[in-house]
Amino acid sequence: MKTINKLQSDVLIIGGGIGGLACAASLKEHNPELDVLVVEKNFAGYSGKANRGGGVLQYFDLNRIDPAEFAVFHANAIGAFLGDQELMMKYVSMNTEMLDKLASWGVNLPKNDDGTYHVMPTGPMTAMICVDLDITLKVRKYAEKLGVRFIDKTALAELYKDGDHISGALVYSILDGELSLINAKRIVLATGSQNYRIGSMWSSGRGDGIAAAYRAGAAMRNAEFGNFAQLAKVKSHNEIVFGENFMYNAKNEFITKNFREFRETDINSNAIREWYTQMTAGNGPIHLDFGPQGGDDGALERLWNRPYGHKFRVLNDESGNAVDTDLEICPMFIGEQSPIMVGHDMQTTIPGLYAVGDCCYSGSGLAGAVPAPPGRNRGSGILNAVFDALVCGEAIGTQKIEASFGAISDAAVEKDVNALFAPLDKADGVSPVKVIEFVQKAMAPVELSVWMHKDRMDKAMGFVNEAKKLVPQMKAKDWHELLNCREAEAMVLSAEMHYKASEMRKESRGWFLREDYPEMDNKNWLKWIIVENKGGDMTLSTMDVPIAGWPAQPQN
Amino acid sequence: MINTKHKIEFDAEKCVGCQQCYKSCFVDVIRWDKEAKKPVFKYVEDCEHCFYCQSVCKKDAIKVVPDYSSEHLMQSFEAYK
Ligand SMILES: Cc1cc2nc3c(=O)[nH]c(=O)nc-3n(C[C@H](O)[C@H](O)[C@H](O)COP(=O)(O)OP(=O)(O)OC[C@H]3O[C@@H](n4cnc5c(N)ncnc54)[C@H](O)[C@@H]3O)c2cc1C
Ligand code: SF4
Ligand code: SF4
Repeated sequence: MKTINKLQSDVLIIGGGIGGLACAASLKEHNPELDVLVVEKNFAGYSGKANRGGGVLQYFDLNRIDPAEFAVFHANAIGAFLGDQELMMKYVSMNTEMLDKLASWGVNLPKNDDGTYHVMPTGPMTAMICVDLDITLKVRKYAEKLGVRFIDKTALAELYKDGDHISGALVYSILDGELSLINAKRIVLATGSQNYRIGSMWSSGRGDGIAAAYRAGAAMRNAEFGNFAQLAKVKSHNEIVFGENFMYNAKNEFITKNFREFRETDINSNAIREWYTQMTAGNGPIHLDFGPQGGDDGALERLWNRPYGHKFRVLNDESGNAVDTDLEICPMFIGEQSPIMVGHDMQTTIPGLYAVGDCCYSGSGLAGAVPAPPGRNRGSGILNAVFDALVCGEAIGTQKIEASFGAISDAAVEKDVNALFAPLDKADGVSPVKVIEFVQKAMAPVELSVWMHKDRMDKAMGFVNEAKKLVPQMKAKDWHELLNCREAEAMVLSAEMHYKASEMRKESRGWFLREDYPEMDNKNWLKWIIVENKGGDMTLSTMDVPIAGWPAQPQN
Repeated sequence: MINTKHKIEFDAEKCVGCQQCYKSCFVDVIRWDKEAKKPVFKYVEDCEHCFYCQSVCKKDAIKVVPDYSSEHLMQSFEAYK
């Protein structure tokens, strides 16, 4: 058997994006004695999404807005009664605390001369703040100062339990395959969502943490809400936030009016359906026309001074603008499946295993019937991760942690190591790219994954099954490609969960659109779909949404 | 994206070996040559043209040149035109 380093930590955090880093900082603040280790596939602080995105943070003026009021608005307008309203109220009520926490960790939050945050209203209840994109570097630096340890360029392979309780993880270096078995009393997954490598900026979301949790037996919830799509320019593929308010067909008819009366801050799946309907009717291509005021590239940069992120954003915009000779658009499938089920303390269904951020945004129930982030709730990606991190940090940081470590079975580890390295030992086989191609064929076309119908989903499942057949044949020439194999396998799993759960949900709700079941069905479907691995088989069941005591109730 | 054809132009003369670009890549395109103390753009076919490596390089030693036509959104819209 290959040599395996034996390591230990009280709390092991997998993933060093904003969720993992904020959790590490929070844990140490609650209990400085805890030994906290972060293992990151790339470089914690540089990796993940918070530093490549818009940097928009949702802001609630808590002097003006009652958290219950927002929960009601959200349930009616966004989450379609599938969201956990109790959690939403807690999320809103912690808004100022989260921002102040980030600021205290050294994150550059823009302020006015009088010391208040520089905020811009976005709707009757919401507003936003723009943070500079070194946010994750700042939090890593702070966590290091508190004594958090880091291992970079190292990926999670498998999780282990002693009885029911989490006991450790097998990780491997993506540089040279060095293996480590880490005994831990608590593990926090902060590995991000599943994006299937389609949208470029989202491409680090490959779902391998979700897959490891699933294999270990953790339940998944809301896996069918992992089908986010955004409008993008057809040449540069740069996304156009807000573009859905300005859609025209080739006859120059204003087609936005077919699915919404008023401008909204966020895209909904009806915009995607409208694009498809117009295209199939021969009315394409579809373009945007912002009118005399033009598009708003760079608006954020003008409003907020963000020295770190400035060059990055300018390079992106300039390069895209050089190829975009027109404003023709099409959907870009982004996915954002985030299904690890957690309770109000961020614990998964495996005792001792927690999850925070994008790997469990839908799974926490916060978002309701929309893919998340952004969950039609702009600026909630980063803050949801910080919210989860603070809740999880407090939950673990205030626990009395047992002195001894749980056991890890040698036989299980040996089996997993052999399976992990199997693609490297093959003389012949298929490239992981081949597997990913089949998954992308199943997920990317929006008429399969967003505007759904049983017949089209069956076609998509055909591609998923093709991909699945190739998984055991994957071959890797080096450690980088081995990682690609693991990620490809995780993508197959995510796609399978998406389509199985989507076929089961026989209604339309929120973002979730089925041509064959166009109505929302509160009588039968105020339910969450739970996906679980039972002895290697994917099983689906439902759980009633405990809506009775919550502020918002559906009318019918 | 898979199998992209983006290019990364690297000027080894300007590079001072600070490792910023190596650390900045979120999808493991860039590796580090310990002897030469320079980045190696080893898995360019996985590059997502995010420009992060270029923007963190204080010495302007990196230029990301995207080939947008090598990225596929896989919408079936060509069929409806
Ligand atoms: C283009 C874009 C724009 C966005 N704009 C905004 C915005 O304006 N406002 C907002 O609030 N949100 C925005 N978001 C969303 C926001 O960035 C995310 O919600 C947030 O960063 C999620 O943080 P996270 O730590 O949960 O996940 P991630 O940032 O995805 O971090 C996960 C980390 O886990 C690591 N990892 C994954 N698998 C493994 C493994 N097997 N082993 C070890 N490590 C692993 C990854 O390398 C990564 O570093 C945007 C996202 C994108 C892509
Ligand atoms: S960031 Fe620039 S100077 Fe630093 S190692 Fe990379 S190329 Fe060289
Ligand atoms: S552009 Fe982005 S994805 Fe490409 S090498 Fe640079 S950091 Fe990596």
